[in-house]
Amino acid sequence: MKNDAMPAALVKRRAKRDPAALGLGIYVVLFMTFLLLPIIAVVVVSFSASTFISFPIQEFSLRWYERIFEYKPFMNSLLVSLQIAVASAFFGVLMGVPAALAVARSHSAWAAAVANVLLAPISIPAIVLGFSLLYFLSALAFGISFLSLLITHTVVAIPYIGRTALAVYRAFPPDHEEAAAILGASRWQTLRHVTLPMIRPGIFAGALFAFLISLDNLPVSFFFGTANTNTLPVVMLSYMQNQFDPSIAAMSAVQMLIAVAMLLVVDAVYGIERIMTAV
Amino acid sequence: MSNAVRVKLQGISKHFGTVQALKPMDLDVEPGELVALLGPSGCGKTTTLRIIAGFESPDTGNVLIGAKDVTDSPPNKRAIGMVFQNYSLFPHMNVAENVAFGLKMGGVDRDDRTRRVRDMLELVRLGKFEDRQIHQLSGGQQQRVALARALVTNPTILLLDEPLGALDKNLRERMQFELREIQRRLGITSLLVTHDQEEALTMSDRIAVMSEGQILQIGTPTEVYERPRTRFVSEFLGTSNILSATVRGEVRSGIWAVGFDFDPQAQGLVAMPGPVATGAQIQLAIRPEQMRIAEPADGSLRAQVQDVVFRGSYYAYEMAVSGSDSPMFLYSHARLAIPADRQVSLSWSPESAIRLSDLT
Amino acid sequence: MNRERVGPEAAATPRKSWRYRLANMSWAIPALVFLLVFFVAPLIGNIVRSTTEGAAVTSGASIYYQKLLFDSYYSGVLLQTFKVSLITTIACLVIGYPISYFMVRYAGRWNTLIVFCLIAPLLTSIIMRTFGWNVIFARRGLMNVWLMGAGLISRPLDTLNQPIAVYVGLVHVLVPFMVLSITSVLQGIDIGLEESARVLGASRLRAFLSVTLPLSVDGIATGCILVFVLTNGSFLTMLLLGGGKVTTLALLIYQQFSVTQDIGFAAAMGNVLLVFALLCLALQARFVRRGGIKT
Repeated sequence: MKNDAMPAALVKRRAKRDPAALGLGIYVVLFMTFLLLPIIAVVVVSFSASTFISFPIQEFSLRWYERIFEYKPFMNSLLVSLQIAVASAFFGVLMGVPAALAVARSHSAWAAAVANVLLAPISIPAIVLGFSLLYFLSALAFGISFLSLLITHTVVAIPYIGRTALAVYRAFPPDHEEAAAILGASRWQTLRHVTLPMIRPGIFAGALFAFLISLDNLPVSFFFGTANTNTLPVVMLSYMQNQFDPSIAAMSAVQMLIAVAMLLVVDAVYGIERIMTAV
Repeated sequence: MSNAVRVKLQGISKHFGTVQALKPMDLDVEPGELVALLGPSGCGKTTTLRIIAGFESPDTGNVLIGAKDVTDSPPNKRAIGMVFQNYSLFPHMNVAENVAFGLKMGGVDRDDRTRRVRDMLELVRLGKFEDRQIHQLSGGQQQRVALARALVTNPTILLLDEPLGALDKNLRERMQFELREIQRRLGITSLLVTHDQEEALTMSDRIAVMSEGQILQIGTPTEVYERPRTRFVSEFLGTSNILSATVRGEVRSGIWAVGFDFDPQAQGLVAMPGPVATGAQIQLAIRPEQMRIAEPADGSLRAQVQDVVFRGSYYAYEMAVSGSDSPMFLYSHARLAIPADRQVSLSWSPESAIRLSDLT
Repeated sequence: MNRERVGPEAAATPRKSWRYRLANMSWAIPALVFLLVFFVAPLIGNIVRSTTEGAAVTSGASIYYQKLLFDSYYSGVLLQTFKVSLITTIACLVIGYPISYFMVRYAGRWNTLIVFCLIAPLLTSIIMRTFGWNVIFARRGLMNVWLMGAGLISRPLDTLNQPIAVYVGLVHVLVPFMVLSITSVLQGIDIGLEESARVLGASRLRAFLSVTLPLSVDGIATGCILVFVLTNGSFLTMLLLGGGKVTTLALLIYQQFSVTQDIGFAAAMGNVLLVFALLCLALQARFVRRGGIKT
């Protein structure tokens, strides 16, 4: 009765009773634990009352959460980070999306070259990027300023957003634009009424991704450290090296909450499944 | 639509990279006429349509719609209605919004739009569907929305790119009639691209059979079917028995006797306009439904039944012809009483044997 | 009628070839200009700086590169960078491939949960994740407390500030990239191929080795190159978990900047890192037929 021409559903059921799948399954569970363990550990430690890291936790308290709100550099840098992340994602969309649209359907050598330049910053080690831009911008008299930081983060945002926009637009059938054109729509009208509404979820996903990358981007921001251009990761790093206590855990947990909140907002507006398929 | 326009293609050619998709061609579509561009994939029919629509530029030549040369106009300035192969309905809009799109782009005000959309949806028999979402519609319904969307703006001409390909057979046949009826009623000049010969035969005023970038023959369905010019045309539309024959001489005015290499004693009659050189090698096409069976007689082609298949509306007989390796086919509505090992003679009326040209 | 010679005027006008497209190349100009000015130019500036600053002025343009390649300490760092990246890549491959395989062949409705677990860490900062390993590996961290509590060890393990902690940290961050790369290729492989091999008598392992594995090479290659390049550029993990025992090029750049401020040298190191990255990309473009997976 057991032959390999069984329909997929039956094949799966038979597989569950089989040792290889069981073994793999256990391995996967261990792996997922491995992935989540450090995150859980940090959250747990953030509620510990003691200054040192020691388990088991004797006493729980919220003192570290109070601490991070009191410690000015944390909050200031968080603000800077959020502003930079939003602004760089915004400019990334403004520049990256039209470029992706321009390049997506063309087979010319020019298009390929432009696409390569557009996507290149992702492949360059961030520390090299940060370092190069620091000296370049200083030489250009931008100095170490909010603007310099913004420019640097935008350079990173453009390829992330461009790549997503490219993928989403390529998956979008060109017929729709042709149908719009034959119905009398100009290029701008087609863009506004047909193309953009349809690729919007994908662009949003790319922007969200760029936002999160920017928030966490230490190597690129590291070189721009001053009181009002410090980003959160930079401040956290120096705190870790100088003062090392569970404030880091609390700040990390708060940062994670912000990211989760953003994800929930996006889910409410577009639905997570639509975003996931786009990325 | 009493002001139907003529469509003229003059010397249109197109190549993509190293491939010559269209050799220089002319096409003249009469006002109010529906011309089908029929051919296998890669023959250039879709390229022709896209050039008329304005999505591709021709390498040479002109496209005229009415009196206007539109060759350099972008697609949104050509006032054309088009139904795409996959309908290309905008998924983020409902039925009414889809149909109204062209009107909105043309600056028609809201009340006008609503009225015209409603009227058009009635015409395609989707009156109550205004608020439906596209994904809620069946294939046939989507097709009708696509048609409504194309026609509501009163375009000068209508282009149809394999509009019925995605539908199942029964629905397709029904839609062929409906589409044709609407086109006739509006009197709008139309071009239909299809690879389905039945569709072309059913719906069009004239068929242009295309292959490898050129039009091989253009004529009414009857002309193209009964008097194919080339082997390709005769085999693409319906089936044909193809025979090589040698001309023996004129028997009566316009009727010629021909001989066959594989059976020297046999002779057939062909109606051909003369003069034809004696000894000339020609190719003949004879439709299976034109073949006849009789008692074996001298001087005729002899054959035996090799196989018979019932195809619902007719029987298809595969005949093994003495002296020849290739079988010939015969279609009959009635079942023929021929025992399996009996020799019969095959014949046809001289008018039903078509001499094919030497090209393709 | 259709093969009549065309009128002379119609044939003689070869036209400009165009195709209707929504966007034309000019839409890419803002991004292109921005990147040329703020991405390409600074990198070129970096190359210039490495041959014209500091010691390069006095001892010759290529002095920094000579130092990097021939000085025993620095060439040792280069080798270590390569070694760390290689080990991390192999570890990610070995650990990640079975996960991909499970996701594509067996997971079914658990798939979303697994994908979530893979992507969720990306919502947290790398500092948080690295700190988390700190918490786990510390003297009185989770690992030691559990192991001692279970009676498996009597004295706490000294894992922190050792290379092993660095590798664990790196693998933790990078294995999701490997898994996603391989999964997207594995998904495209028809399960029927493996089943045919089984029907023809191959054992499950054999079928996997001779059918599925070779077909997934594209995904493996992409994942490996991705992880390799990302490891090359990491320094945070080495900094926070390595205790000075693992020094790679990226970490060296960081130290040059914070400590010695030798700009020319740091620029040269940056260029070497850059060249590594570009070489890997060239490798990918050449050998991976599908030209990259979106991760």
